[in-house]
Formats: sequence, C-alpha cells, structure tokens
Amino acid sequence: MAYPYVSDHEVRVLSKHFGDPQQRRIDTYVARGGYSSLKKAFEMGSEGVIDEVKASGLRGRGGAGFPTGVKWSFMPKDSGKPHYLLCNADESEPGTFKDRELMRWDPHQLIEGCLIGAYAIGAQHVYIYCRGEFFEVNQILARAVEDAYKQGYIGKDIMGSGNDLELTVHQGAGAYICGEETGLMNSLEGRRGEPRVKPPFPAAVGAFGMPSTINNVETLAAVTHIVGNGGEWYRQFGTEQSPGTKLFCVSGHVKKPGNYELPLGFPLMKLIEEVCGGMRNGNTLKAVIPGGSSVPIIDADEVARCSLDYEGCVEVGTMLGCASVIVMDETTDIVKQVRRMVDFYAHESCGQCTPCREGSAWTAKILRRIEEGRGTEEDLDVLMEMTQQMVGTTICVLSDSVAAPVQSSIMKFREEYLALIRRGERVGAA
Amino acid sequence: MAELVNLTIDGHEVSVPRGTTILEASKTLGTEVPHYCYHPGMSSPAMCRLCLVEVEGAPKPMPSCVTTVADGQVVRTQSEEAKKNRRGVLEFYLVNHPLDCPICDMSGECNLQDYVHAEGREHGRGREPKRVFGRDDFGGDVLFYGDRCVMCTRCVRFMSEVEQDHRLTVVERGNRSVIDTFFEEGLDGTHWHGNIVDICPVGALVSKDFLHKARAWDLTHTASICTSCSQGCNIELHTRDNLVQRIKPRENLDVNGWWICDHGRHDYEWMNRGGRVEAPLVQADGSSKAVGWTDALRGILAAAGSFGPGTVKAVASPGCSNEDLGALKGLVEALGGGDIVYRSARAAEEIPLKGFPQLARRKDLAANTTGAELIGIERAGADDARGGLDHIAGHDGIVLVLGDLLEDQAETFGSHAGLYVYIGTHESAATSAAHYVLPACTHAESEGTFTNRDGRVQRFEAALRPPGMARPAWLVLGALTSERSGSEVARSAADAFRALGDTVAAFRGIGYEDVGPRGAVVNEAVSLTGD
Amino acid sequence: MSDVPFRNPGWAGNTGDFDLSEEQVRGDDFVGERPRDGGHASGAGSMPYMLADKAPEAPLFEGAFQERFEKILTRYPTKQAALLPTLGLAQEIRGHVSPASMDRVAELLDLSPAYVRGVSTFYTMYNKRPVGRHLVQVCTNISCNLCGADEVVEAFLRYTDAELGETSKDGNFTVIEAECLAACGFPTCVQINSRYFENVTPDQVPAICEHLKAQGE
Repeated sequence: MAYPYVSDHEVRVLSKHFGDPQQRRIDTYVARGGYSSLKKAFEMGSEGVIDEVKASGLRGRGGAGFPTGVKWSFMPKDSGKPHYLLCNADESEPGTFKDRELMRWDPHQLIEGCLIGAYAIGAQHVYIYCRGEFFEVNQILARAVEDAYKQGYIGKDIMGSGNDLELTVHQGAGAYICGEETGLMNSLEGRRGEPRVKPPFPAAVGAFGMPSTINNVETLAAVTHIVGNGGEWYRQFGTEQSPGTKLFCVSGHVKKPGNYELPLGFPLMKLIEEVCGGMRNGNTLKAVIPGGSSVPIIDADEVARCSLDYEGCVEVGTMLGCASVIVMDETTDIVKQVRRMVDFYAHESCGQCTPCREGSAWTAKILRRIEEGRGTEEDLDVLMEMTQQMVGTTICVLSDSVAAPVQSSIMKFREEYLALIRRGERVGAA
Repeated sequence: MAELVNLTIDGHEVSVPRGTTILEASKTLGTEVPHYCYHPGMSSPAMCRLCLVEVEGAPKPMPSCVTTVADGQVVRTQSEEAKKNRRGVLEFYLVNHPLDCPICDMSGECNLQDYVHAEGREHGRGREPKRVFGRDDFGGDVLFYGDRCVMCTRCVRFMSEVEQDHRLTVVERGNRSVIDTFFEEGLDGTHWHGNIVDICPVGALVSKDFLHKARAWDLTHTASICTSCSQGCNIELHTRDNLVQRIKPRENLDVNGWWICDHGRHDYEWMNRGGRVEAPLVQADGSSKAVGWTDALRGILAAAGSFGPGTVKAVASPGCSNEDLGALKGLVEALGGGDIVYRSARAAEEIPLKGFPQLARRKDLAANTTGAELIGIERAGADDARGGLDHIAGHDGIVLVLGDLLEDQAETFGSHAGLYVYIGTHESAATSAAHYVLPACTHAESEGTFTNRDGRVQRFEAALRPPGMARPAWLVLGALTSERSGSEVARSAADAFRALGDTVAAFRGIGYEDVGPRGAVVNEAVSLTGD
Repeated sequence: MSDVPFRNPGWAGNTGDFDLSEEQVRGDDFVGERPRDGGHASGAGSMPYMLADKAPEAPLFEGAFQERFEKILTRYPTKQAALLPTLGLAQEIRGHVSPASMDRVAELLDLSPAYVRGVSTFYTMYNKRPVGRHLVQVCTNISCNLCGADEVVEAFLRYTDAELGETSKDGNFTVIEAECLAACGFPTCVQINSRYFENVTPDQVPAICEHLKAQGE
C-alpha cells in the first residue's frame, strides 16, 4: 500500500511514511530509527547542530526561504532569559496542504525536529502553533506529544542527556495572518494576531518578549533527517543554492493532484506533465501559480521555462513561496479567480496598516464590479497603480500578496479583462 | 545628556540624542511628518503608514515614528517617493470616509482635512459604495462616528496604556474592524476619557458637550490653567461670543503631559455664569447704588481711615491668582495689618492617571492653595469649603472678602463690621451687609499666575472680556494700597507679580519672563498639609 | 472509490485506490476517545472541538472542563496566553462565544471584557452567534474554486433551504463559505463541525447531510 500517486521522480524523505497509519505510533517510529537524531543532536552540542543545518543549506519552507541555520545563529547565547521555539503549523496559504499531511501521518518526525531545533537555539519550551481548523491533526499531534512525554523524549532529562524541554500544542482560532511569524507570536500570547513592527526581531524580542525563533513544520521535519544523516547527505538533492527535497502541493486542473516530494530545481512542466499525469480532460494549460496564492501568476510560456527552486522561480518573475502549485487550464476564468483570491486577502487582512486594510477591500470591490460586467478600462489602470501603493508599504507582506495576483494577471491576461469589460465575454461561462 | 547622533534630514544637518525617532528629529527642523497613529505619549504601532520616509540605503520606505536615527543617515521626508506614498495612503483613507465635513465637529482642525488639502489627490478615484458603521454612544462624554475613523487606535491605546482601564478595543479585523467598547459597557465611570476626543486625529470621537456647538475656526484659543484642583494642568480656553465653549489640554510635560481629567474639562460653565456684579456698589440708606470706581475707592479709603492697627480680618478664595492674593495681603498691611484665611474644598480620593504617574486629579480642589499658603494665608473651614468664618462674620473692624462666594454664610455676615468690602463676581445673602461690593474679574477674564501643588508658578491669559466695570482684583486692591501707603501702583499683572516677589521670599526674583510657557518653580520647597 | 461519500477520508484525490479504513486515515484508531479533561497538559489547549450538541446556558467551566482549563493555564508563562484555548473551550461547551462567555473568560484570566471581545472577534472560528448543529464550512478559495466549490455551496444551500450564514429552519445546518482549509489537493473540501469532508461534489451533498442528520453527529 502506498500513498497515492507515487511518482518515480519523487525522493521521499519527509513523506516516506505518508499513508502508513502505523507511523503515528511512537513504538513504530522508534523502531524505525526515530528519536535517534535527537540523541545524536545532544551529542553534537547545540553549535554542532547549527553548523550541520548551516552545512545542509536548508532554507525555510514557510515561504521566505531564509537559511535555517543562519536564522538559528541569530539567537543570543547565554541571554539568561527563557528562549522559545515556535513551530509554525498555521498552514493556510491557499494552495498549500503539506504541513497537515506531515503532521497527521508523521507527527513524531516533526516533534523530533522541534526538539532538535529547541536544543540548538537554547529554548526550553516549544510551541507548535497548529491551525485551529485542523481538529483531527491537533488530536493526532496531541496524542503523539503525550506518548513522547511518557517515553521520556520530552520533559525532564531527555534520554538521560540532562536536557529539559517542554512542548505544547497550541490551537489557533482562524486567522491566516497568524501564519506571519510576529502575528503568530501575538496570537500565542492571547492577543489579536496582528503582525508586529520589526525591529525588534524575534531573536531579540519574540514570544512573551523573549528571544524566539519560528520555523515552518516542513523545515523542522527536514532538520530531523539533516541531523540524522548529515548536511552533506542533504545536499545531494536539489541545487547548489536551493538544496534538499521539497513537498510540492499540486492542486487545480491536473489529473493527479497531491503532495509530491521532489528535489528542488525540478522543472515545473515536468511536474505537471509527468508527475501529475498532465492536465485533466486533456485540456490546455493556461496559467500556474507556483508558490501559493501570494505569488505572481505565470502563463504557459513561463511555466515551460520555470524550474522549481527559489532562484528558478524568480527568473520567470514569480516566487517559489511554499511550493504550492496551483494549475489552471483554459476553462479558468482568471478575473473570477483573482477576485476570489483578493476577497481572501481582504477577509484575512488584520486591519492595522491602512494600505492593506483599505486597499485590499477596495481592490476586491473593483474586481467584483468588473466581474459583474460593470468595469471600465480605467479600472485596470487604477488597480495597477493602487495595488502598487500596497507593495512594500506595510508592516507585513499580506498587502504585497494582494498586488501579486492582481498585477500579474492584468499584465498577462489583460485581453481577458478587456473582453469582459468591452463585450461582457467571460471565460468558462456556460 | 545622551550621546548625540548626526544625520541629514531633507538636506539639513541635525544633531539629536541617540534613540530619537526620525519623526521627532524632523520636528527640530520644523518639519512635521504627517502621521495618525503616532502620539508622543503612547506606544507606536506604526500602522497608519502615513509617516513613511525615504532613508538612503533602506530597501523600503521606513516608518519615521519608530525608526531611530543613526549616524550619517540621510533622510528625505519631502522626496517624490515620500510624497507619493502619502498621496496614496490618503487616497486609501478617503475610499470609505463619508466626507461629511460640513456637519463634523472636527472640521477645521482635522488632520485628514489638512493632510489631504496639502498633499492629497485632486480627484478621488473611489467609485464603490462606502462602508457604513454609523454612530455609537460610547457613554461618558463621547460619541463615536465609525465612518470617520482612520483606525489609528490612539483611543484604544490611551485607555489601555495611559488610563489603564482597557475599555476600548478594535473589534473584528481588516476592513470590517471598528473601535468599540464591551457591548453596552461604554466609558462611564472612567475619569480621563475626554482625552480620546482630543487625540482622535479626525472627527470619529467627538464630545457630546461640544456637539454642534461651534465651528473650530470660530473659536479663539487662550492659554490658561485649570482651576479644578491643585495639579495646575495646562489648558486652553476655547471661546466664542465671549463665552467659554470648551476646554482643551495644553502640552506641558512637567505637569500634565497632553492630558486633563474629565472633571477639569467640564468645569467651565461657572466662567460663563451671568448675573455678575458689573459696577462698584455702595450701600447707602439700606439700598445699594452703583457708582464709579473713583467714588468707590475714595469712599473705602475714607471709611478705612478711622481704624487702628491689626483690625483687618479677611477671607480670600484660593481660586484667586498669586497677584490677587499678594495685592490683598499688601492692602491688609497698608490698613494696619490683620489676618487672612482661605477656605477650600477637598475630595475624598485622588484620581490618578496611571500611565502618567505625576498627574492626578488631586484631593485639593483649588488652583492656588500653594500660592495662598506661601503668601501667608491660612486655611479655615471644613473640607466642603464651608464654615470657619465665625471670627469674621461678627467682626467689628474691617472685613475684606476676596473671591469667596460666601454661599454658606448668613445675611448677617459682616453686619457688625466697621467697614465691609466685598470684592467678587456675584452678590449673595452674605454680601447684603457689605458697604462696598466691587466687581472683580474671574481668572478667565484676567491675566495672572497660579502656584500649583508642586510650587510651580504658571501663567494664564485673559480669554473673556470682563462684564461692565469689573477689573482684576490685583488692580483694585493695588490702587487702594497705593493711595493708602504711597507705594508704587502695579500697572500690569507682571508688575503685581514682581511686587509679590518683593514681599514673599518664595517668589523673589521670578518674573513672567522666567515663568514662560512651562512654568517656574518657586524658591522654597513646598509642603502642603493634608494633600 | 468508496460509494459512500461521507466516508471519503480525503487523502488521495478522488481517483486513488487505497486500502485504509476511514479510521486509519483520520487517526481515530490511534487517538481513540477524545478526553474531555484534555488528556496530557501539553495538548489540553488543542482539544476544543465543535460539537453538534450545544448548551448555550451551561456553566463555564465545571468538572472535566475545569480540569482542562487548569491544565491549559500551566502551559504558558502568562495568563493572557490561555485566552484563545479558553475561548475555544467555552465554545465547545456553549456552541458559540456569547458576550456572557467573553465576560466570564475575561474574569477568569484577569483581562478586560473589551479586550476579550477584541481578541475573539479577530478570529473566525469563534462563532459570535449561535449556529446550527452542523456548521458547514465550504472552502471556496482558489484550488477548490477551480474545481467547482461554488456549486458545492449551492448544493448545500439548496439542501438546507437556508441563506448563506443563516441556520436552516430545523436548526441542523448553518452553511458558510470558508477560506482555504489546506486540503487543496482534495477539492472541494468541506469542514463540518470538527471534521473535514474532502473531494465533495454537489451530488454527494444530500447524502452527507442525511448522514449527519441520522448520526446526530
């Protein structure tokens, strides 16, 4: 039995046990070599762990792609204060569904990564901030943590190493913005999940005012394997600048949507055609959003040239983000889908910064009007200029995420907007 | 003194202490970077995004309210980039703003109006239906017009950080977010909430008391000092048609910061009270007769001539200025000496402003108790400012009353006096025996100083024209003294204050020029009993 | 593919062949019964569920719920940090977060009621008013939308004969649109109370609703 849609192209490191319900059980996990990386980490010392992660070249899997080892090295040494490691499990970027799978199939892989990370940065307490809607995942995770406590992998004097670590599963309550690291910290502290102004950065003033580091689920899960097998081993996958494997969440109009673990640098077209079995119903590819709804849309030509690593995506004018590949075929009504994405951002804007609070809702209203056939060509100019005003002017980048789909779609699918504005023609309208 | 940092703002070199924000550093050049959420008295969330400026080398425009200065930094607050940002942000503000300026109390002193006028787009591009929140009564003196709100959250932060009673919050999020209280709880029972109306940069929070009362541009602002307690908060009296329309705080970091309490804020109706004594009144043949000042003063001097030394008993209000009280003392001495008492009300509890610890509504409810004490006037009566005048009521020598309304005293007050002169604003039962009732100005009608509980001498200016022939008490009393003793007459409040310094050591050497806008502390350590 | 739509555990896309039971996929046989007292303290804060049975007037927090509340408090350096889990717990008991619940939670955590209102309205999972026995949240965000989520919403509204966001007359269903539920590979994803239904198509909707009504889940 295997997780469906296994492809020969896959390199299954993190997703090795997807589809195997036994993997959740701590006995199985330990029998398969689990928690040996944690033991090894304790032997390596915290500096050794950070060096190994630096050597692996692992980059944050939450979207920004910042080198994890470097991030960890920002944490103060001997600050005398409590340190916290926060695991960002608030997966809610449209198109992304990897962390949920990682947590529900292999919770201990994440827990082990969290403990290693906490040890490396001198944290005493790990909080896994798990998305509130993931009731089942939360319960699986809570059970796994409980098992790990009982078997002495969490708590006092872990495995006789003299190290004490606490881990708490924290359930979110429904806010996309809590996936932003400082928004998550505010939320964890029992506040509105509004992002904070930086500086100060979390490594100086983070959760509860203490030095903190925040890592994505996939990042910490990868750490388990990097520490277990070595940074060099990890570098055999992927590219020089984007080493390792990555879970690609493919959704939309492909025959076989799902999570595929591939080395970074994998060609996007090959992912669609070979790994995912091509377009559904033999349709034609129209556009792809390669990194979750916050990154610019690319058209079929750009898809053909795009390799799925951090640099390759930038080359075609988009971003890898969290590698959530949303595939659209020729039946897609771009205007409607862009409007839907902007509706999402308007709904999720925390409301602090004026450009985001007012701009996202305004953009949504204009797009809605265009979609309803009451748009004008001037609206497109207003949208382009006004969304540009939302780029780089706010505390966090949610505002920028509104501009990305709007601007890229108007630039690349202007004709579709114009057909709707001038002639009331909609793609896919029956 | 903190270490200085040198930087360039808009082409000008500036040196400011390390840790200063770019926004504050710009102020030293006279440049006010537009902003809403920033307020010097509270934390900065940097969320209005209006104060973004260009900093050389920074990848993005920086919020000047939280970005601190660095050596060699090159800042541009007026560059095309910075202006473009402000134009854009201001357009966002107007997308849902009702533009109801004609009926908005803030109109004329509104930061949204001013900023858009200065740097906004000529034509708005918003075509969509506007969001509507409507109006909400926040309790206390506050009405909330949600549609005008720019979501700067100053009011929320004032209540949580300064008053430290977290009654306000942002409800909902994103474009639906709005300021509110806990359902019907409101602001009732809080004592400093009037400040949220002041710090609201637009017309979202307005005062019920001031609602639709006057247009901002018709108001004349006069620097004054609050008379509600001994704290001596710096205020402005806003007047129109010779009436005080409202009181606003005036910044003085040594006294009240930016804040005043709600008691002081609403304590102005007495300044507008009618039924004033408008001319000197002389009692003759059982009825009083209005006379000119010359006749009145001559009459008093003539009547006062026949008393021996030490026969004056006087009562003065601690709401009178240092100048008035000093002049009274001068006259008492010129008339051969005697004693002066004051009566003042005391509240049971102090009402502190937790986030600004030096500020509280004090128990001592008079503005110039310290001044009175320093001048040598002693307290009499109870904590409700009644009683304590029995020794004066039946006195057979000279009785002088300055400012005290004598509301608790009977008609017989002063009826045995050889000479009873009442200097004040209103007649009452207890003035009926007065031989002379002289019309005096209130502090709102005259210039002068108060000495607050910390010994800080602070000036106030005349905001209203006095009614009829009313004159400042220091002038009237000074004229009598001068005639009696041949001393030089004080021709201005500044003279009167200087004269006070000649006789009272605490004030020696302090002139109006020393007092300035933030006050000057008297020469002696001040300790008040019962405060 | 299973012909019983509500048993679709949704981990495989709609054409996958797999031999796991629903329980195995969802982890039910692993986690077993959900402990009312929250189980181990480390997970107590992640336990609040959305249940069909709601008791809007029930006391907060007694018995096992009191235990869970106290466990939650032990996991954070500040009392305030317990706010989100505690509101969740209140909602598990009462079905929504009423002003009275906010007031009580504020009192328990030494916070102002206004503050608690501000926080609870920030998050979408706290129902500010009562909802039906089954809160049906249909993801209509891009990935599901591309695959026909709008039709799924319509199917639910048609079946329940209620407006979007309103509760059906029988009190069984409240249908709302949800933002991305992170099940984009299994469109359309529908969250009903605490569980996900994936690969939902419009024609499956009546069966799912009938099942829910029959189960009383």
